Amino acid sequence: MIIIGEKINGTRKAVGKAIQDRDAGFIRHLAEEQVKAGSTYIDINAGTPPGREPDDMVWLLDSVQAACDLPVCLDSANPAALKACLEIVDKRPLINSVSGEKSRMEGVLPLALEHKTNLIILALDDIAGIPETSSGRMEIVRRLVSLALDGGLTQDQLFIDPLVTAIATGTGNAIITFETIREIKAAFPMVHITSGLSNISFGMPLRKIINRTFLSMCVAAGMDSAIANPGDKDLMGAVLAAEMLMGKDRYCMNFNKAYRAGMIGA
Amino acid sequence: MKDTQLLTQAVVDMEEDKALALTRQLLESKTDPVAIFNAYQDAMAEVGKRFEKGIYFIPELVMSGDMMNSAMEIIKPYLNESDTRDTGKKTGRILIATVEGDIHDIGKNIVSTLMALNGFEVRDMGVDVPIDRIISEAKEFGAQIIGLSGLLTLAFDPMKNVVERLEQEGIRDTVKVIIGGGQMDDQICRYVGADAFVTDAVAGISLCKNWLNGSI
Repeated sequence: MIIIGEKINGTRKAVGKAIQDRDAGFIRHLAEEQVKAGSTYIDINAGTPPGREPDDMVWLLDSVQAACDLPVCLDSANPAALKACLEIVDKRPLINSVSGEKSRMEGVLPLALEHKTNLIILALDDIAGIPETSSGRMEIVRRLVSLALDGGLTQDQLFIDPLVTAIATGTGNAIITFETIREIKAAFPMVHITSGLSNISFGMPLRKIINRTFLSMCVAAGMDSAIANPGDKDLMGAVLAAEMLMGKDRYCMNFNKAYRAGMIGA
Repeated sequence: MKDTQLLTQAVVDMEEDKALALTRQLLESKTDPVAIFNAYQDAMAEVGKRFEKGIYFIPELVMSGDMMNSAMEIIKPYLNESDTRDTGKKTGRILIATVEGDIHDIGKNIVSTLMALNGFEVRDMGVDVPIDRIISEAKEFGAQIIGLSGLLTLAFDPMKNVVERLEQEGIRDTVKVIIGGGQMDDQICRYVGADAFVTDAVAGISLCKNWLNGSI
């Protein structure tokens, strides 16, 4: 499972303050903690106004690169911020994200193609918004995957986000995501599938139980990545169990090693 | 307990079949349809209170709204002209959008759903909506309220620009502007120049209802 550690996000109050105060120690700690917990990428999101964002993103990137060897996920729709980061990034990053929206197709996609980065693709656009059917989402995914492949990226550089909407307002909403995942895997077997999870449980009690059950079911449908907090042992346990049950964990070694390392379980 | 109170109780307890059966029964026994309608209104208020206390969640809000809408279909034929004026008509026109630069839509969608369930005529423009489109749509739709949603700090400036454009177009006084999102507070509200801010959907709905009752 490819875990994109989500904790360095400026829309969280403490992180926003650390960015404001240039508290590199705080950021380093968040990075190290996520490395230890089993992240594959460290997401960085400044969450600041466009004028400040390039400086803030570069500072975050510097801080994270000084703290660990993991590649980063550049979480911004601001071409100036992405450009500035791409000039100093050490390892091939993942860009989060491009969608069918005009601004992102014109501003973000060319940068990903030029720098041959890995890329998250969202199944939404200006016209349809988030389509309410898997076929609507697939139409956007097909269009964007073609553009990325034509531009020289390979399937395994692409992370498709099937999108998740709240179960509280539509009891069929999780099923749309499961169906979209299956259709993406059928059409493009080598791409990765990733998503944030917490949208599913918005407006509900016991959100964590819903989130991790949902993630397990997404894994069963073919998801192999998540934007999540790797420090959540229950969530990570559910992920590893789901992958194991789907026959993707030889001799159950990922699960058992994670158990012995204290990364999952009580 | 009076029959209308039983009805209120059934709606509050999320007993859909019972509520609709009681509604039919009351109508057949010549209960004033406006009293039945009011029983539903009372139920909605109680459901809202339970939501605020953390006993009920979004699905209960959605379900009670759906019950109310189903009931309205049953009640409608029994209403005469003057009743319709009190109960049947849409309470107000609200335009909702997540502003330019932001694509967060979970909160906005819930507000849209709940507003519609509460009788508002809702035009939901989606996410990342340019200022020009918000202004032209507001005029065309005759919006009485503009609800601007955003989670990111970079949503604040587009919100401010919407208010400024309303002023330039000379229509600022004809419309209320409410901003919503997890980060909103009084300071941001003043920066944007909005009439109010909210951080949860139910608060937003009661605020908009109050505006309309005071006729904006």
